Amino acid sequence: MNSGSPAPGAATEYDPVFLNSRREAIVTLAIWALSLAWVVPYCYFTGYVQDGNEFKPEQLQTVLGMPSWAFWGIAVPWVVANIVTAWFAFVYMADDDLGEVHEGLDIEEEIAEISAHDRKA
Amino acid sequence: MTCPPASLLPLFAQTTSGSNGALITFLVYTAAVFVIAWYSNRLQQKKESFLSEYFLGSRSLGTWAFALTFAATSASGGTFTGFPSLVYAHGWSVALWISSYLVVPICGLGLLAKRINQVARIGGSITVPDVFRDRFQSARFGLLATLLIVFFMTFNLVAQFKAGAEILRTLLQDVGIFQWARAELARFDATQLHLFAARDIEPGYVICLLAFAAAVIVYTTYGGFHAVVWTDVMQGLVMVMGVLIMLPLALYQVGGLESATREMAKMTPPRVIDARLSLETASDSAYPIPTGTWLTLPPQEGSELPRLLRVSRQRTIPAGQTSVDNVPLLELTTPSEIERQLSRLAVPVEELNGPLTVEVTRTLDYRYGKDQPGVYVTGPGPQAPNRSLSPEEQPASSGFLPLSLAISFFFMWAISGAGQPSNMVRQMAFNSTTTLRRSIFTVAIYFSLIYFPIVLIFCCARVLLPGMDEESDRIMPEMAVFLTSAVNQPWLAGVLIAAPFAAVMSTVDSFLLMISSAIVRDFYQRNINPEVSESRIKLMSYAVTFVVGAGAMFAAVSPPRFLQDIIVYTGSGLASCFLIPMVVTLYWPRVTLAGAMAGMLGGFLSHLSLYVIGYVHYSEFRALKPLGIDPIIWGLATSLLLTLAVTPLTPQPPRKLIERYFMKQAPRKASVTT
Repeated sequence: MNSGSPAPGAATEYDPVFLNSRREAIVTLAIWALSLAWVVPYCYFTGYVQDGNEFKPEQLQTVLGMPSWAFWGIAVPWVVANIVTAWFAFVYMADDDLGEVHEGLDIEEEIAEISAHDRKA
Repeated sequence: MTCPPASLLPLFAQTTSGSNGALITFLVYTAAVFVIAWYSNRLQQKKESFLSEYFLGSRSLGTWAFALTFAATSASGGTFTGFPSLVYAHGWSVALWISSYLVVPICGLGLLAKRINQVARIGGSITVPDVFRDRFQSARFGLLATLLIVFFMTFNLVAQFKAGAEILRTLLQDVGIFQWARAELARFDATQLHLFAARDIEPGYVICLLAFAAAVIVYTTYGGFHAVVWTDVMQGLVMVMGVLIMLPLALYQVGGLESATREMAKMTPPRVIDARLSLETASDSAYPIPTGTWLTLPPQEGSELPRLLRVSRQRTIPAGQTSVDNVPLLELTTPSEIERQLSRLAVPVEELNGPLTVEVTRTLDYRYGKDQPGVYVTGPGPQAPNRSLSPEEQPASSGFLPLSLAISFFFMWAISGAGQPSNMVRQMAFNSTTTLRRSIFTVAIYFSLIYFPIVLIFCCARVLLPGMDEESDRIMPEMAVFLTSAVNQPWLAGVLIAAPFAAVMSTVDSFLLMISSAIVRDFYQRNINPEVSESRIKLMSYAVTFVVGAGAMFAAVSPPRFLQDIIVYTGSGLASCFLIPMVVTLYWPRVTLAGAMAGMLGGFLSHLSLYVIGYVHYSEFRALKPLGIDPIIWGLATSLLLTLAVTPLTPQPPRKLIERYFMKQAPRKASVTT
């Protein structure tokens, strides 16, 4: 099997689309983690009836007709998430060239190459 | 459709406008998807590569097509049947259950889309197994991915066909021509076929299955990927339109969201009752007691309000007999709800039972939330008992959505959605990064207009249509008919109840094409006959799509038990198998073939083993959930750990592959350019 070291004259610089995609994927995961950190704990501590507490209907707090825990814990994060999504899509994400399509190469040749590779492996 | 015989015309006339709306909607729908399929087929004739066009739309999707096909495929039939049903049954806590949809667009398209599209272009990949095969230059890996896709999606396809047929049956149940056809088929079966009654298969279900399957199989087979995408666009628009019409109507009917939430705050869960219903004297003919019949009992001690009960499933007192046992009833327990419903019924309480006498034979209390006001506006939500168990056998419940499951679902919707091959293949089909960027935002707005409003609409339904807890799967069409009748526009019901139908159709067509592409492209062309001619592959693509669809339809006539559980199993199983291997395929140059394959097999086996152990342990199709955590998370964790452990133990991947997929290089000469 070939080693991982670059051959003489081989490309050594990472593809910018790969680097941009990876950076964007990491930011996506961070946004997911932040939304989890806001939504679930907030709803749990303000919207769940904890052991020993009795719920009284007249004490329910609402905002725009929603229970306040659902408003601040879900509706507001939803609006914020849409704003962050707009920023991510229109500002942060790089407008990369995805390249040309390399389909239609001789499939028989390609399969022979892959089979040889499998045997070698 | 041909004109009905004259003897049938009264049947048309007898149906309500809403029911006719459903029939007309279905016919218009079918006509529209056939037009789209015809146009897509014409597109195929003009393209150089049939396979790329048939299975991937020549990677030419623009913003609307890409965004709406992604959104419509994600929103399966469950979005308009199961999800509203959950909101109705558990109240506001379902908002937390679905809340991670606020980041589904960015996660679903931000994690993998750009890179998978680029890698598929580099390798010339048309399908998801193609991506693995080309990236690692391994036919074995491609074959493994193909087998897993066919395995999971075949089960899921059968289940989706069943869901489509059930939704259609709900839509058409009051239509005269449908009732006539059902009765005729039942008669034909009883005298000639002897197929359905013996197997407890309802003839109406078979008719709907045939109609649904015929429409989907024909347009998908004939039109290929473009037909699937453009029908998705149409179906996506119908879904959002349905929700946006229902929301103001629901809020208007209930007197505003504040009023609905305040009412829900007072509500306590219903009582689950079995009763004997009796007539004073036996009737000459059978006496049906339809679902939705309201009955009453004298007030309980200390109360002035009569008890109010609703029949949950139709029962019939046979001819010549005076009673029927075990009639399932639900008793309302909230005084304001009873008063409101009594005033709506517009029948004096003493006349409500008609000739029937009600005798309660068994009462079951809710497993969580009994006599607790507020359980519909706080978490955890109420949990109904299991009618098939005695009161002593009811398992304990901590309510709907304990904290561990809330976290699991936040993970599941957002992250595992990205791991679905049906989403991945769409991410290979958009034409540029600009399309991707616009689509992320479009899907975000689209999901915002669908998911949160559904919570609001079906919280209103809880107030407007009480007592439907045991048939809450039908709450969407019931609510559509109720809302449109209330504003005297019953024709609108047909448009509204098309939404769930559109949702399930847009999922089925994608799955159908995924399976046929796996068989034709990944299995046949790449492993059996690489020299296959273009005309033969074209014929095979049509034939396989048709045969797979027809096979799934026949399997759905008498579907296996535990079908709904199988849907959950296949969705989470696909994510466990594909997400981590795809992430490392795209983002980790060092990953080796052995590492990625170990991740895929590890995800599959660990997820499967939790279901097998659960089946042995509980004697039903139910997964074991160690620490209360869903199997998908265990599957993904195993997949990740195995990939990380095996990769360093195996030699570095070939430098040639790293250069091809990860290094900056001069563009290669392409034979096909989009």
